[in-house]
Amino acid sequence: MGSSNKAQIAGTGSEALFVSHKPSVFLSPAFICRILPTRPDRRAPNSFPVSTATAPAPIEGEKAMTALKSLEQEFPLLDINFQSFCASHSILTIADFLTHDLHSLAAAAESQPASLRLKEGISQVLSIVDTLHQPWLDGLELLQDAMDNKRVLSTGIAAVDSFLHGGLRVGQLTELAGPSSSGKTQLCLRLASSVAKMDRGSVVYVDTGNSFSSRRIHHFLCENGGPPSKQDDTGIVQRVMSRILRHSVFDINLLFNVLHQLEFILGSQECMEGCKVQLLIVDSVSSLITPILGGGSSQGYSLMASLGVLLKKLAHEHDIAILVTNHMVGGERGNPKPALGESWKSIPHVRLLLSCDYETNTCNISTLKHPSLAAGRSASFVID
Amino acid sequence: MDPWKLPISSAIQRKRLLSQSYTSHASASPSDLACADRASDVIYLLLIEPQVITSKFSVFSFLFVIGAQNAWDILLEEESMTRITTSCAELDKILGGGISCKEVTEIGGVPGIGKTQLGIQLAVNVQIPCYYGGLGGKAIYIDTEGSFMVERVLQIAEACTEDMAEYGRFLGKSIQARQVEMGPKDFLENIYYFRVCSYTEQIGLENYLDKFISEHRDVKIIVIDSVAFQFRQDFDDLAQRTRVLSAMALKLMKLAKKFSLAVVLLNQVTTKVIEGSFQLALALGDSWSHSCTNRLILYWNGDERYAYIDKSPSLRSASAPYSVTSRGIRNSSSNS
Repeated sequence: MGSSNKAQIAGTGSEALFVSHKPSVFLSPAFICRILPTRPDRRAPNSFPVSTATAPAPIEGEKAMTALKSLEQEFPLLDINFQSFCASHSILTIADFLTHDLHSLAAAAESQPASLRLKEGISQVLSIVDTLHQPWLDGLELLQDAMDNKRVLSTGIAAVDSFLHGGLRVGQLTELAGPSSSGKTQLCLRLASSVAKMDRGSVVYVDTGNSFSSRRIHHFLCENGGPPSKQDDTGIVQRVMSRILRHSVFDINLLFNVLHQLEFILGSQECMEGCKVQLLIVDSVSSLITPILGGGSSQGYSLMASLGVLLKKLAHEHDIAILVTNHMVGGERGNPKPALGESWKSIPHVRLLLSCDYETNTCNISTLKHPSLAAGRSASFVID
Repeated sequence: MDPWKLPISSAIQRKRLLSQSYTSHASASPSDLACADRASDVIYLLLIEPQVITSKFSVFSFLFVIGAQNAWDILLEEESMTRITTSCAELDKILGGGISCKEVTEIGGVPGIGKTQLGIQLAVNVQIPCYYGGLGGKAIYIDTEGSFMVERVLQIAEACTEDMAEYGRFLGKSIQARQVEMGPKDFLENIYYFRVCSYTEQIGLENYLDKFISEHRDVKIIVIDSVAFQFRQDFDDLAQRTRVLSAMALKLMKLAKKFSLAVVLLNQVTTKVIEGSFQLALALGDSWSHSCTNRLILYWNGDERYAYIDKSPSLRSASAPYSVTSRGIRNSSSNS
């Protein structure tokens, strides 16, 4: 079904990579996901029927990928004839339908024997899509949501917490930029141990440079919690540390894999009370993106953009704080600036700059971009 | 389990499954899926073991088992790992016991400070048998400058054998009987030497290493002397150089993690203009400086050689003296 069409779809945007082994771009479905329902918890719109009764509920936000086939039961117009017509245009899912040129599809339907029924089918699918928009929220509800779910996570360093008015905000994407050995990884490890200990949440740590040091985490945990020699203290440390999960990732496609797995798990996580993922750290995101940027190809940029979309989506929908680190490159006249260029700048909600004074071993943190704090402030701290 | 409910990373993979009529797990046999080349391991496992996904809880634990490790397990694993000694007690002390496996360590310094000596020393020391507290592994030595002197390796290996014999006498005769099997010649035999003459060769070799190490599982260290040399010429487009280098760095990271081996990169120094004054900095620029886990800077302090930990996620920055003798890297002469 549809496999004979591989060659002809190779010209249409994201499908261009269908046949290649290069990193895959899936900008358009990601874009579609934004306009389709993702938060069924309030004012849930009609959900699609699940084809088999025993299967778990479909992943929210993934309905765009629902196959047309599974709609047949509820909408008899979308019969096997309609499905095979769509399949001959390589349309298998709702997302395909939306990204297809509907005028040419309607024109193609004209030439078919049952053209009227086919066109009715097309408008049927479109009306299904229409019912799937995001529910609107008023300011009061947003405020309620912000107060209930969008907490701040303490970094475990008093100076940084007061600088950021409490810490890292849940639901936001925070970027931490700084030169090599300025303390980025240390701050990440510190934050991970603080969240695992104080907030009793799970932390997912995506490590791209083999720089995850469990020894440092152990050190941070034992620092405030008394001597680890006692038997029950060791038990506590063990429990806290087993809430920090490390993924080693060395290429951007694997990162997408991990993030999609995470999304899948979070979508079916209601039973996992007390072990909610609260923090996602990607240290460092720039080392994965740098090898694919530039070189006259825009593919790297679109991967970077879809990564940004995915991260922000995860943060927003599942109430996770996300911290990514970025390195510095030489800019104009040798002044260092954060890597990844202009198009990355607009992605994170908060951008922080870290620098380190090697003589006093003091780290200095300042804001480059923050939605609610004045720019140009800074604070100093020491990570022991 | 229908394909559109699986945690597949890209819409394209999902579409591929759909387009090949894999509409449910029942319709797909494992061999079919093995042919659907971009289907990830996760789907493969989910499809052949549908009983695993019977409850939501098992989905959670099952999926997180793939590729993830919790910090406690990592700690236990790290603590049980043997490090590669540098043969200098003070250097080992600031390094927490030596060069760590699973990590990429960059060593930089001015010419003549002993980078190559340290590289050779590590390539020899990694072979110290387990019953002497070593790793009993083998070494890959990638030489881009042509500074690898085999006579020198023999010298260091001989010194190492003598030290082991002395240590064996100290421990007793049971070990002495066994240590006969390790002579200086064996040390040379266990170093796989690659000479690289251009950056294309270097990239090619690093791509090949994965296969090579799969066939030689006892390789425990890769020394690249020096990582910068081939990349300091022939590059018009510096942005391209950055891309190539960062891809290479990720590959080395992956090797270190996958085969649990140490990667040691020796790097040259260059001058850099910082706020109007010339300062020494490691070659290959700012973005490269992020691509190692640990960085050790070798420098002269008066007449003495010192090593300084410039970057490490787990170690304190500290410095220690060392010396280069005819027997290899040893403790600083003023202290011993």
